[in-house]
Amino acid sequence: MSTVATTSTPTREPISSSKPATPRTARPWRQLLPLGILVALVLAVSLAEPAFLRTNSLTVVANQAIPILLLGLGQMFVVLVGGIDLSSAALASLTTVLVATWLPGMGGAALVLTLVALTVVGLITGALVAWGQVPSFVISLGALGFWGAVSLVVSGSTTIYVSQGYGSISWLTNMGIAGVSSAIILSVALVAVIWAVMRYTPRGNVFHVVGLNERAALMAGVRARWVKTAAFGLSGLFAGLAGIVLTAQQQSGAPQLGDALLLPAIAAAVVGGCAITGGIGGPWRVLVGALVVTVLRVGGAVAGIDPNYQQIIYGAVVILAVALTIDRTRLSIIK
Amino acid sequence: MSATPVHDVATLEQQSTVSRPKNNRRLLLSAGPAVALVVLAVAFAVLTPGFATVNNARAIVEQASIPLVLAMGSTLVVLLGSVDLSVEGVMAACGLTFVLLASNNRNDNDLGWLAFVIAIGVGAVFGVVNGLIHTRIRVPSFMVTLGTWFIGLGMATVLFGTTTPQLQDQTFRAWAGGRWLGVPVVIVFAALVTVGAFVVCRYSKLGRYTYAIGGDEAVSRVAGIPVNRFKVIVFCLAGALSGLGGVLATIRLGVGDVSVGSGQLFLTLSAVVLGGTLLSGGRGGPLHTLVGVLILVVLGNGLLLSGANPYVQQAAQGLVIVIAVIATGWPVRDRLRVVK
Amino acid sequence: MTAPLLELRNVTKRFGATTALDDVSITVHQHEVVGLIGENGAGKSTLLKMLAGLHRPDGGQVLLSGDPVDLGSPARAARLGIGVVHQEQSLLPNLRVAENLLLGHEGDALRAGFFRRKRLEAAAAEALATVESKVSPASLTEDLTFAERQMVEVARAVASRRPGRPPLVVLDEPTSVLEAEDVAVLKRQVMALREVGSVIFVSHRLDEVLDFSDRVYVLRDGKVVGERTSQDATEADLFRMMIGRDSSAGFYDEGRQRPADPDAVPVLSVKDLSRRGQYSGVSFDIRPGEVLGLVGVIGSGREQVSRAIFGAEPHDEGSIVLDGQPLRLRTPAAAVRSGIAYVPAERRVEGMVGGATVAENIALVHPGRGPVVLPARRRVVAQEWAERLDIRPRDTAADMARLSGGNQQKAALARWVLADDLRLLILDHPTRGLDIGAKEDLYKLFRDLCERGIGILLLADTLDEAIGMSHSVIVMKDGQVTARFENTAVDGKPQPIQLLEKMM
Repeated sequence: MSTVATTSTPTREPISSSKPATPRTARPWRQLLPLGILVALVLAVSLAEPAFLRTNSLTVVANQAIPILLLGLGQMFVVLVGGIDLSSAALASLTTVLVATWLPGMGGAALVLTLVALTVVGLITGALVAWGQVPSFVISLGALGFWGAVSLVVSGSTTIYVSQGYGSISWLTNMGIAGVSSAIILSVALVAVIWAVMRYTPRGNVFHVVGLNERAALMAGVRARWVKTAAFGLSGLFAGLAGIVLTAQQQSGAPQLGDALLLPAIAAAVVGGCAITGGIGGPWRVLVGALVVTVLRVGGAVAGIDPNYQQIIYGAVVILAVALTIDRTRLSIIK
Repeated sequence: MSATPVHDVATLEQQSTVSRPKNNRRLLLSAGPAVALVVLAVAFAVLTPGFATVNNARAIVEQASIPLVLAMGSTLVVLLGSVDLSVEGVMAACGLTFVLLASNNRNDNDLGWLAFVIAIGVGAVFGVVNGLIHTRIRVPSFMVTLGTWFIGLGMATVLFGTTTPQLQDQTFRAWAGGRWLGVPVVIVFAALVTVGAFVVCRYSKLGRYTYAIGGDEAVSRVAGIPVNRFKVIVFCLAGALSGLGGVLATIRLGVGDVSVGSGQLFLTLSAVVLGGTLLSGGRGGPLHTLVGVLILVVLGNGLLLSGANPYVQQAAQGLVIVIAVIATGWPVRDRLRVVK
Repeated sequence: MTAPLLELRNVTKRFGATTALDDVSITVHQHEVVGLIGENGAGKSTLLKMLAGLHRPDGGQVLLSGDPVDLGSPARAARLGIGVVHQEQSLLPNLRVAENLLLGHEGDALRAGFFRRKRLEAAAAEALATVESKVSPASLTEDLTFAERQMVEVARAVASRRPGRPPLVVLDEPTSVLEAEDVAVLKRQVMALREVGSVIFVSHRLDEVLDFSDRVYVLRDGKVVGERTSQDATEADLFRMMIGRDSSAGFYDEGRQRPADPDAVPVLSVKDLSRRGQYSGVSFDIRPGEVLGLVGVIGSGREQVSRAIFGAEPHDEGSIVLDGQPLRLRTPAAAVRSGIAYVPAERRVEGMVGGATVAENIALVHPGRGPVVLPARRRVVAQEWAERLDIRPRDTAADMARLSGGNQQKAALARWVLADDLRLLILDHPTRGLDIGAKEDLYKLFRDLCERGIGILLLADTLDEAIGMSHSVIVMKDGQVTARFENTAVDGKPQPIQLLEKMM
C-alpha cells in the first residue's frame, strides 16, 4: 500500500518509459503480484494436502507468521529509508533472553523495560548510520555481532525457561477470540495502525520521502538524519515485540532463538514489494509477504519437502524478490 | 550516466580543499592499523603473562591462518566497492562437499586430492553465481551474498544429513597438526594466499583494474575496462578462497560441520575494514588486511589469556567493525551526504 | 590543402522541446587553437558532450580529417583522437599517474596479465613529454596539484588515440581554478599540443581565449553567431556577440518593480562571510520586497555563498542576520524553521522528490498542522496552489517526475510560498531549462512575493534575467565581490557588458 491514495488512477504502464521515474501508485502488479503468489501458494499446498485448509493448520501458519511479520514491519521502516537492518533478528533473540531473565522478578514491567531498551538499541544503530554516514548493512552487522554476544553473556549461553511470571505474556498465545490468538489480533491491528499513521498524519510519509530522495528531503528542511535514526529505532522496537511473542510461544528465552528469522523477515518485506532501494512499500505489503514466507515454510513441510531445504529456498526467494522489486533507474552504479 | 560531467557546485569545493584531509586520511589508513597492532601487542605483553612467548606467537599465527585466507578474498571484493557476505555459507557447503567426497564414514567416496579441488571449485561456482547475479541482474552485492550465505548453509545442512560425517583420508587428517618443511600446513596455505593476493593486487591487470573499478566505476567503464567481467572474476576468486578456508577448517575439525564458518564473516569483514581497506572501494589492500587480521587475532588471544569471557571477543569485534568503518569514513562526511 | 581535422556540418541537437544546438557548423584545422565562448546555456556544454561521445547529434554531420564519423561512445571518441578534458576531472585518484594515463590501452606494457612497470612508465613518460609535463609517472595521482592533474588529463587525451591519428584536445574551462603561473604553463603546453594536433579552448575568460586561440567562435542560444580571428577581435566585440539582442523590456515584469524602502530592517544582512579557499568578505543586505541578483561565473563562489545562507554548507567566518536576528545555521532544517527557502539548481537531485505525488511534494515543507491530515485536505491545498501557479496537469496525484520541468519548478516553489512566515527566498537558477511561458509565470510569481515583503536572493540563469529582475546586482569573481550596482530602479540598470567586465 502506498501512503497516498488513488490507486485507481488509470495511469499508463511506465516500464517502457524512458523517464527516470518510479510512480509508487502506477504499478498495480507490484501490489497485486505478492497477493497472487500467496493465493497460488495456498492453492498449491491445499491441492497437495487438502487438510492444510483446516482451521488448525491455518492457525499454525498464522502463529508462525507473527514473529516474521513483526520483524518484517521493523525491517520495512529501515528498507523504506533505503537501508537494511541485519541486526533485527539478533535483537529479537536478545529480547527473549531479557524477558525470560526479568519476568520472574518484575512481571509485566519487564516487558515495558525490554521494549524501551530495544528501542534505544535500535536508535543507537540508527544514529551511527545517520551521522556516521556509513552503509547501514555494516553498522547493523556490527550490531548483530555485538548484541549477539551480549545475549550470550546475559543468558550464560543457555536456554532460560519461563515459569514464574509467564502469566504476563502467556495471554499472547493462550487467549484470543474464536481460536485466533491475541498476538495475531494485535499484530494485524498494529498493521492497520501503521497504515493509518502513514496515511493520515502530516508527516506520515516521511520515511517514503527520505527513501525516494534523501537529498531533496534534506534540502526541504526534513530532518532526514533523524528520520533514519527513527526507522532503526522502530526496527528495534518491533524486534522487541517479535521477541516477546517468541518468548510467549516458546515459553523460554535463548540467545539464538530468533536468529534464524533474519532472512524470513527480510524476505517478508521484499516479497511483499518493499524495494530495497527505498521509498516503496507499506505495512499491508509486509503482511502479505510474511504470509507468503510462512506458507512457503509450513506448506513445504506439509507437502513433504525436506525442511533442510528451507534456507536454500529463503536465500533464493530473497534474491529473486530483490531482483524483481529493486528500482534500477535510481542506481546508476550498483555496488 | 554518472560519467556525464556536471558542473556541480561541489566539484570546485573538492578541488581546492580536499588535498590536505586526503593525505591525513591516507596516513590514518596505512599507519594507523600498524601502530594499533604494535600498541596492542605491547600492552598484552606487559599486562598478560604468557602472551609474549614463542609458543603463543606461533599459536597466534596459526589462529590467524584461516581468517587470512578468507580475508584475502574479501579484500579483493571490498576493493571493488562491493562486499561478500556469503563467506560462512560457502565455507560450510565446501567443507561438507570435501568431507563427503574424500574418504569418510558416510559413503564409499575416496577421491583424495580431487575432493580438495572439487570442494574449492564449489566455492568458485558460488563466487561466479554471486558475481553474475550482481552484475547481470544488477542486484546490490550485499543482498546477493546475503542470499547465497543462507543458500550455502542450506546446502550444507542437506549434505550433513543426520549423522556427522568424519574425515578418514589419512593424508588430509595429517595436515591437522602436520608441518611442511617445518611450517604448519595452514600457515603455508595462508602465506601462499597472502603473497598471491599481494602480487595480484600490486602487479596484475586484474588487481590494478580492481583498484580502478573501486576508485570510480564509471570512469573505468569509459576507459574501456570490461567492468562486469572483472567483477565476476574477483567474486569467483573470493568464493574459491572461502572454499579453501572451509576445507582447511574442516580438516582441522576432522568432521564435517554446518557451523564450520561460524563467526568468520565478522572476523574477515572487521579485519578488512580495520586494516584500512575502505568499503567504498579502491583503497587499501592485502597488506592492510594482514595487519587487520593480526590485530583481531591478537585481541582475541590476549583477551582469552587475560581470562575474559569468550563472548567478549565477539562483542569486541562487533564494536571494532563499527568504529573502524565510521573512523575511516569520517573525513568525507558532509552536511548533505547521502549513504544508504 | 588537407581536409580540416574536425568539421561539424549543420549539427543539431534537441532535448525534448528545447533545441540545444541549432544548425551549428564549426571547422578546426590542423595545428590550430580554436576558442569557443558563450553564455551559460548557449550550447557549449552540449557541443562538448557531443564531441566526447556522450550525446549523438539529431541532425548534421561530424567529419574527422574529411571522413564522416559516428562518435558513439566516449571510448570511440577517444580512439578517434578526440580527448575532452572536463572541468570535473576524470582521473582515478587512487592509481599511479602512469596507470591512469594508459588505463584500458596499456598495449605491450601488459604481458600475460601482469604489468611491466618499466615499460608502462616509459610509455607514460613519453605521453607526458608531448605536453611538456614534468610529473613523475610513478607518483600517486591524488598527490598532484590540480594543475598537474589537468596536464595528466591532457596527456591522456593525447595518448589514448589510435596511432596515426592527430590529437584533437578539447579543454573545458581549463583556467578557471588555475593560478597565474599555472596558466602560463598551460599556455606553453597548448602551444606544444598545436605542433602535433589541434585544440579547442572553452573559457569564460575572454582575455585568455584571445591569448590562447587563433580563431574564436561565439555561441548564443544554440547557434554560432560569430567567428573572428584573434588578431581582429577585441574583448568588447566578443562581449557584444555573446549578449546579442538588447535586454527584452517588459519580459521581467519590470513595471511592478517597486523600490525597496531603504530604511526598513533588512530581511537578510550578510557580513564578511568567508570560507577558506572559496570566498571571503562577502557582505550585502536584502530589504523586504527586494530582489538581489548575485552574478558570477562558475568558481566565483556565489553558489557556495547562497548555500551557506541556507545552512547546506558550512562557512568559517562572518555573520548572517535575518530580520535583525543573528543566525547560526547548522542544517537546512534550521534555516527552513527561520523562514528561509531555497530552490536548488539541480532540480531532480535536490529540488523535488520523484516518485512521490505532486501533492506530497507541495506539502513537503509544511505538511499541515494537527495530528490528523486527511489526504483529501492535502489534495485541496495542493489543488489550490496548482490553480494559482497554473501547474499542469492539475492532477495533483500524478507522479512529480512525470511533469515537465516548468511545472516541476512551480510545484517545487509552491511548497515554500504557501507558508505565511516565509522571509527569504534563495533562487539558484530558477528558470534553467524552462520554456518562455513557464519563465514568465515564474517572474510574475517572484514579483508577487516581493509585494508580500519577502526578500529574494537570485542566482540568475542569464545576465539579462539578473538585470531585469533585480533591484540590486552584486558581482562576484574568484570568491570576492568585485562590483555593486545598488538601487537600480532609481539609478538605472547596469548594462550586461558592465557586469561581464567585472565577472571575468
